[in-house]
Amino acid sequence: MQVIEIKNLSFSYDGRTDVLEDLNLTVRRGEFVGIVGPNGAGKTTLFRILLGFLKPRRGSLKLFGENIETFRRWDRIGYVPQRLSVERNFPATVRELLDLTGEDPQEVIALLHLNDLLDRQFLRLSGGQQQIVLLGMALVRNPDLLLLDEPTAGLDVHFQRHIIQTLRSLSVRENRTVLMISHDIGLVLRTVDRVLCLNRRVRYYGEPEGAIEAVEEMFGIKGVRDGAS
Amino acid sequence: MELLSYDFVQRGLITGLMVAVSSAVAGVFLILRRMAFLGAGLSHAAFGGVAVSLAVGIDPLLFTALFTLAVGNFVQLISGRRKVPGDAVIALVFSGGIALAVLLLGIFGGFSEHVFGYLFGSILMVTTGELIFSGAVLCGVLLFFLRYYRKLLLLTFSEEIAKVQGVNVRVLNHLLVSVASLVIVLAMKVVGIILASSLVVIPALTALMLGRSFRGSLLIALATAVSSVLLGTLLSLYYNLPPSGSIVGVMILFFLASFLKKLRDPQ
Repeated sequence: MQVIEIKNLSFSYDGRTDVLEDLNLTVRRGEFVGIVGPNGAGKTTLFRILLGFLKPRRGSLKLFGENIETFRRWDRIGYVPQRLSVERNFPATVRELLDLTGEDPQEVIALLHLNDLLDRQFLRLSGGQQQIVLLGMALVRNPDLLLLDEPTAGLDVHFQRHIIQTLRSLSVRENRTVLMISHDIGLVLRTVDRVLCLNRRVRYYGEPEGAIEAVEEMFGIKGVRDGAS
Repeated sequence: MELLSYDFVQRGLITGLMVAVSSAVAGVFLILRRMAFLGAGLSHAAFGGVAVSLAVGIDPLLFTALFTLAVGNFVQLISGRRKVPGDAVIALVFSGGIALAVLLLGIFGGFSEHVFGYLFGSILMVTTGELIFSGAVLCGVLLFFLRYYRKLLLLTFSEEIAKVQGVNVRVLNHLLVSVASLVIVLAMKVVGIILASSLVVIPALTALMLGRSFRGSLLIALATAVSSVLLGTLLSLYYNLPPSGSIVGVMILFFLASFLKKLRDPQ
């Protein structure tokens, strides 16, 4: 089953310069897709279009087989943003945030080892811990599609490995679809089923082994193969 | 204590306490949505509504409530489109309301007694009708916050995550502003136009300094607002002070105490 189907999609903020140009992309159920690209390549913009926050200028987009214009099942999508702009006195605890969905968070608390954080205020956590809580908030609702914008940024190696293993298991065992933006190219190449190299256009979309050349060309670097192994 | 047996004191205190509860709860959400200045903008815009009702000869409280509701939703509509900064739109209605009032009061004249009451509050002159109106608004406000508590908390945390989790952000923002508008009109009766926003802002700010959880902060805001209205009114009765000034003075003392505590306790 196709979870995401994008055809000839273009998007522009100012109506003149396309930030995304003629995008074609199909993501199937259970796939773990890593999205890489330089700053300003349109990665986060693509997520914002998938979430219905932005309307494409041209082209079509289907989520779970339904056109985005009529799609209403947002509960099937979990989203972890790159950064939050929360008021500095925001007092809610992790427990209060996990309770917001109305679903039982116990499974997610165990999965992400959140027990020790439950009664701490979200804003008093480290950046990495906040990322894990945001992932927990997204997972509590059992989404079929997870959109993660830099979920491992700021995490130490231990947490990073834990998050990636969790995402992998969600994709493989529970057949959930995961799209993850990351600047850690080595991590992406080692982890995902498919790599999307994006720089306004799709530069490469396929298995990680074939992505190295596109990545080296896109970033103007050499030796990606060594870093990915 | 004898003073508390008078009807007008009882009406004033009950109304003040109802307004304290509704403005404390609304204030926490407004501050976390970075809409603290909305209270000041709406209360001053409401002065325009008061002037229209006095000039036309209709019930000031009901008309001003409707007028402020319209102004609040206008602010939300314009700032929601993100073409104009939200604080600039609030400044616009702030000065617009005052300008309307100055014009109408200048043209029609003769309302100085009423105007003084609305500018500085008249908690001890609350009528039974106003008491009932305050009770109805309090019920509406509490029902709104109980019904939408989760969605509102999510909205204050992240508008994007709220949208993804199915919250109709635009509608909820309008509802929050509508509730804030009604609360401001009630606060206007207790502490006056000039100080109305203080009832919304100061207890909530105090609570956010001390609160260790969202629910805890709501409770502290409620306790601060209720004790300020109670203490402020009693002080004004016993020492013959203007009630609005005493109420806001007590609130500021609570805020300063919480600020000092926060300074000493960086955690």
